[in-house]
Amino acid sequence: MEPAGNIILRCEHLSRSFTTPSGTDYRVLGDVSFDVRENEFLVLFGPGQCGKTTLLNLLAGLDQPTGGFVEMQGEPVHAPSPSRGVVYQTTSLFPWLTVMGNVEFGPASRGIPKAERRKQAQYFIDLVGLKGFEKSYPNQLSGGMQQRAGIARAYCSDPSVLLMDEPFGHLDAQTRYMMEQELERIWRAEKRTVLFVTNNIEEALYLADRIILLTNCPSVICKEYMVNLPRPRNYVDPAFLQLRKEITREMDPTQ
Amino acid sequence: MQRIGKTVWKRLKANRQTLLWIVISFATLLIAWQVASMLSQGRVQIPAPLEVFEAFFRSMTVPIGKNTILEHAGISLWRVLLGFVVASVIGMAIGILMGVSPKAHAVINPLFEFVRPIPPIAWIPLSILWFGLGSSNKIFIIFLASFTYVTINSYEGARNVDPKLIGAARMLGASRRRVFTHVIFPSSVPYIFAGLQIALSVSWAAEVAAEIIYSQNGVGWIITMGMNNGNITQIMVGMIAIGVIGYLLSTLMRVVEGRLCRWNRQET
Ligand SMILES: Nc1ncnc2c1ncn2[C@@H]1O[C@H](COP(=O)(O)OP(=O)(O)OP(=O)(O)O)[C@@H](O)[C@H]1O
Ligand SMILES: [Mg+2]
Repeated sequence: MEPAGNIILRCEHLSRSFTTPSGTDYRVLGDVSFDVRENEFLVLFGPGQCGKTTLLNLLAGLDQPTGGFVEMQGEPVHAPSPSRGVVYQTTSLFPWLTVMGNVEFGPASRGIPKAERRKQAQYFIDLVGLKGFEKSYPNQLSGGMQQRAGIARAYCSDPSVLLMDEPFGHLDAQTRYMMEQELERIWRAEKRTVLFVTNNIEEALYLADRIILLTNCPSVICKEYMVNLPRPRNYVDPAFLQLRKEITREMDPTQ
Repeated sequence: MQRIGKTVWKRLKANRQTLLWIVISFATLLIAWQVASMLSQGRVQIPAPLEVFEAFFRSMTVPIGKNTILEHAGISLWRVLLGFVVASVIGMAIGILMGVSPKAHAVINPLFEFVRPIPPIAWIPLSILWFGLGSSNKIFIIFLASFTYVTINSYEGARNVDPKLIGAARMLGASRRRVFTHVIFPSSVPYIFAGLQIALSVSWAAEVAAEIIYSQNGVGWIITMGMNNGNITQIMVGMIAIGVIGYLLSTLMRVVEGRLCRWNRQET
């Protein structure tokens, strides 16, 4: 079945190699091509160290590919832009700014007057559930709250696409589970195109409209799944478990 | 100033144990001093602590030479402030430039490494010949003393900025200039402060040294005058003033740093 919606972000034959200290080429991304559709929640699922962050950096425009290209709404991507907001694997909040300072950094960079950007920032701070923590510094927040602030910051630049790089990878299981629910709630309230990277199958199935499976280095796309289960999803729903089993077997045929 | 005093006091009160040990350590010093001065009668001259403190407080109203001790201290501090501020501004600019531009680093660093091992005091003769006997030669010495520390630390700070934060700022739409002023600079501040802290104490030491070698006023001058007149009490008064001011300067820097770098404090 073809995913619905217009193509918003596209990558074609994307590859990326790094030169190792010994001088040889180390190919991290093989040949990756896929489309991201407007307002879908697309999950890139792949094992640890398979080049997920590398891929996301290319899509964000923070890194340049060795081969192939990235295109956003028909325009080639060469540099980072507020239209592609990034939520990072580990917190990348500016530690010298408060939550408010971080969230309004985007609009402030675009020269939006203080009163207006404060209002925007407050909206997203409230949305991610950080009301009352506006004046806190990142080192005063828990890991989950830091990622909430990171999500609010990315949202506040009004991006068309949100790129999320294992944003909950470093949280404990309990917090992670809660944050997945929170993210779905936030995403339903403020629909954006989301490209979400994870190596956690449950997280992928809980959040995704569509899952793209990546192989180990050099990583290529090995399979694609549509997830048509009703939201919010249930981890012990038979259909959920069935799909989980299928994907797990796909990634590791010995299981 | 009052607020800072209050903060220091609050900290001391919160830590009574520390306060107690400070009292004990100074009491020990005073007792040893008193004993030494009693034992030394008729041999070397060691004035009793009480005599020195009396002279110290007297000098606050009765001038030594043309000025009271507070005025001398003010003159010394003013020179330090001028040299230190100019060196800090220029040092930060050059250091950060070196941190963000490998080319600038490649050009500036060799000169720097060459000049750095020359202690500020070694510049005094040149400085007197170039800038005369007044305040400017001392300001120049202080500038040299602080400049290296501020520059090196600013460089380290700018070089150690987390590239992820620069990426995040660019992703959020920050211009190059804004990345510089709002990411590279603030993230260097803790490093810069460590440099400022050392620079200020080194400046103070350099100022005193320059005054001892040649000057017409300042706390270093008090010591030289004491030596020339064989007035040991006056020498000690000068030294106490130097110590107290040095201590106040570093405390002041720590408090300012604590306020500006609150975000950098490791919280549990
Ligand atoms: N700038 C770089 N230079 C050299 N090698 C790199 C660079 N960036 C990434 N790599 C290598 O590419 C491989 C994939 O890295 P990447 O961080 O993209 O994987 P990942 O899937 O995001 O891993 P994780 O699951 O730990 O987040 C790693 O082996 C890494 O060492
Ligand atoms: Mg990664």
